[in-house]
Amino acid sequence: MLALFAGILLTSCDPEIDAPSASAGELDLTKYVAVGNSLTAGYQDRGLYREAQLASYPALLAMQFEQAGGGEFVQPLFGTDEASGSGYLRIDRFENGRPVMVPVPGQAFREGTTLPGGPALTKYTDPVQNLGIPGISVLASASPQYGAINPYFERLLEPGEVGSKTYVQEVIESQPTFFSVWLGNNDVLGYATAGGEPTSPFDNLTDRNVFGSIYNTIIDGLTTGGAEGVLMTIADVTAVPFFTTVPYNALALERQEQVDQLNAAYGSGALGFSFQLGANPLIVRDPSAPAGLRQIKPTELVLLTALDSISGRGYGSARPLPDRFFLDESELQMIAEHTTAYNEIIRKAASDNSLALFDANAFFDSIKGGFVFDQVTYAPVFVSGNLFSLDGIHPTPRGYAILANEMIKTINAEYNANIPTVDVSQYRAVLFP
Amino acid sequence: MKNKLLALLGGTLLSASAMAGGYQVNLASQRQIGMGHTGTGIQTGTSSIFFNPGAMSYLRENGVTVGASGLISKIAYRAPEPSGVEAMTDNPLGTPFQLYGVYGINDKLKAGLGIYTPFGSSVNWGDEWSGRFGLNELSLTAIFIQPTLSYQITDQIGVGVGFIYAVGGVNLQRSIPVQNQQGEYGRAELDGNASGIGFNAGIFFQPSEKFSVGLNYRSKVDMEVEGGDATFTVASAVSSRFPAGTQFDARLPLPSTLTLGVGFMPTEALTIAVDASRVGWSAYESLRFDYTAEVNGADFSESARNYEDAYIYRIGAEYKVSDVLALRGGAYYDNSPVMEGYLTPETPDADARGLSVGLGYAVSENFSIDASFLYINKEERTDTGALAGGIAGTYKSVAYIPGIGLNFKF
Repeated sequence: MLALFAGILLTSCDPEIDAPSASAGELDLTKYVAVGNSLTAGYQDRGLYREAQLASYPALLAMQFEQAGGGEFVQPLFGTDEASGSGYLRIDRFENGRPVMVPVPGQAFREGTTLPGGPALTKYTDPVQNLGIPGISVLASASPQYGAINPYFERLLEPGEVGSKTYVQEVIESQPTFFSVWLGNNDVLGYATAGGEPTSPFDNLTDRNVFGSIYNTIIDGLTTGGAEGVLMTIADVTAVPFFTTVPYNALALERQEQVDQLNAAYGSGALGFSFQLGANPLIVRDPSAPAGLRQIKPTELVLLTALDSISGRGYGSARPLPDRFFLDESELQMIAEHTTAYNEIIRKAASDNSLALFDANAFFDSIKGGFVFDQVTYAPVFVSGNLFSLDGIHPTPRGYAILANEMIKTINAEYNANIPTVDVSQYRAVLFP
Repeated sequence: MKNKLLALLGGTLLSASAMAGGYQVNLASQRQIGMGHTGTGIQTGTSSIFFNPGAMSYLRENGVTVGASGLISKIAYRAPEPSGVEAMTDNPLGTPFQLYGVYGINDKLKAGLGIYTPFGSSVNWGDEWSGRFGLNELSLTAIFIQPTLSYQITDQIGVGVGFIYAVGGVNLQRSIPVQNQQGEYGRAELDGNASGIGFNAGIFFQPSEKFSVGLNYRSKVDMEVEGGDATFTVASAVSSRFPAGTQFDARLPLPSTLTLGVGFMPTEALTIAVDASRVGWSAYESLRFDYTAEVNGADFSESARNYEDAYIYRIGAEYKVSDVLALRGGAYYDNSPVMEGYLTPETPDADARGLSVGLGYAVSENFSIDASFLYINKEERTDTGALAGGIAGTYKSVAYIPGIGLNFKF
């Protein structure tokens, strides 16, 4: 009898915590459309693949919107038979404490077709609501040719639209009731990841007036039908592991013999610097310096892509590090000025149109020192920081989930909504061998 | 470089929360549970070994009591708003028990032995909930073995003291926030046996048939774990940071309890008891594990607890309907020792209210049965847990505790 009594109690008397129910507030979430670049597509580990797409922040937002009356959300998902999409990186092993990455081959290529931006991908021409195009900049989004260049954009276009339809047109045609726009990163990142030595016309810093004009065309087009939305600012490059992982003084000299050799090779101090035991600034190319080389300054940033060259091939010591592997002070200043200008345009667009603003720049700035959430440490640190994927630029699924939650809080505040946040613990960070 | 790259890996692993919180289990006698677990100021039979060894000397017959409760507890969790993330514990059935035997050496001097379980905790959040890097599950057990002597100085005053030897164990499991290629998280398990010593002393004063008063002090018992096993399952790339064969030492204080109780017996059939206790939780300042090897870069982990002394107020009554049947009821209010900012998922403690009913039935002169039912409802509590490595959110606990006891006299 006691067991029966207990059984009844167990099922009927669980403790309950009252909570406000989910609500969309002033929003109509029937049709959400996400506008943006690789961050919006869910790109990570230097690739776009099915698992990453499923954890894109727009997919997570749409999932949470659904609990507050939101409608269906369609992404251009790679099929299960082409799940690795464009291909991506994984960690194969650690060597001397450094992760050794190997590519996972892509499965979603169209045989025999290559575009200027890379091999063509399998088509997905049904209407989609995640319009995230890896690589796209504000500048490129107004270019009719861009659909014939970028395989991720080409993939979404009907054959007749390729090379004629702009991304701006594609976005405005989508007619959302709610939208998010996270564009502009590539208007600085293309330049920054090329070490300030762009090789493609879309990798220059975009003129701020051009940026403003195109950006506002997009926002005007989206809001014409009365749609509400959230805009995102652009993070500083100094908040991203791709630019902060390799320290300026990455040249570690452990033996006096190495010190003597380098001093002899670089004119025994005649160039204004000498080497010591321990950590030394890397040697970089600089056409304006004596003999075209100098020590890198503490304020300058070495790119993550330089890591293998530094440790494996003597760059930065016996051989000066080429321009494309670091950002010098003037390049960094240009990047900072443009980032600030773009963010001013984005903030103004949000306030002019009474849209929600997720200040990603401020957010990434606030977490530079790391934070702890539910007993897990997060920091903008390569591999071990849980936030950034193996390309050092794009978040992990967990990183995207954390961003989605910040966006939801912003949306809730702006529109008196109560959209629940995501359980970030259900999304992975970097996978270790 | 490796250290630098991996320095942040699960940075708070094991440095944060751990074993238990307000983990006292006040279920020492089936008769007394029915009376709101009062008993220090009245004669409770053999269970005076626990409630007040001073009253044990008043027993006129030898007796043995054996009893047990089934502790069904559930804790609900909801992450801070606007999160919709919820969880519910799937705790195993707790089985606190008691065994008391009292033997009269002569009219004034009695000897007794009590074996009971005044502390323990069993919490299982599972390995899916959002706080699993704080805790998966915890099991804490403590069994007190207490030989006791009680002496009746006069008709009105009795004193008693018992020596406590406590044995028990702890098992703590949590997920490590490092994933292997299959996406599986690592896991840490700390498992060890513990033991400690203490005493239980009391004085009982009964100036009249209608009034009695008692004072009882159960000392703190420091449970020491030596050479417990720390077992880690992690991705092989980081396994060197979690060495196999690591052992740990730890110390968990089981706090002292000072209780003043009074009894009123206005008629022969009615007994009313009131107790007030102070539990010395301030002894629980921090939880520290010392490892025999460096675990993720440190050979110890410590997190603050800074519990406060807590007070419990109890009232209970027994009414003898007939010579063979007694009905009981009681209530208590139990202050939480956990201060704001220190709430952890091991024991998401809050101020608690207890309501109890019970009955006693005498089958024969020498054999009687007690049954009890206790309902505990802890207040809903929202906390960041930030000062103790907890998991922020709102917690709500309830418990249903049926119990039965058998009494033999000879």
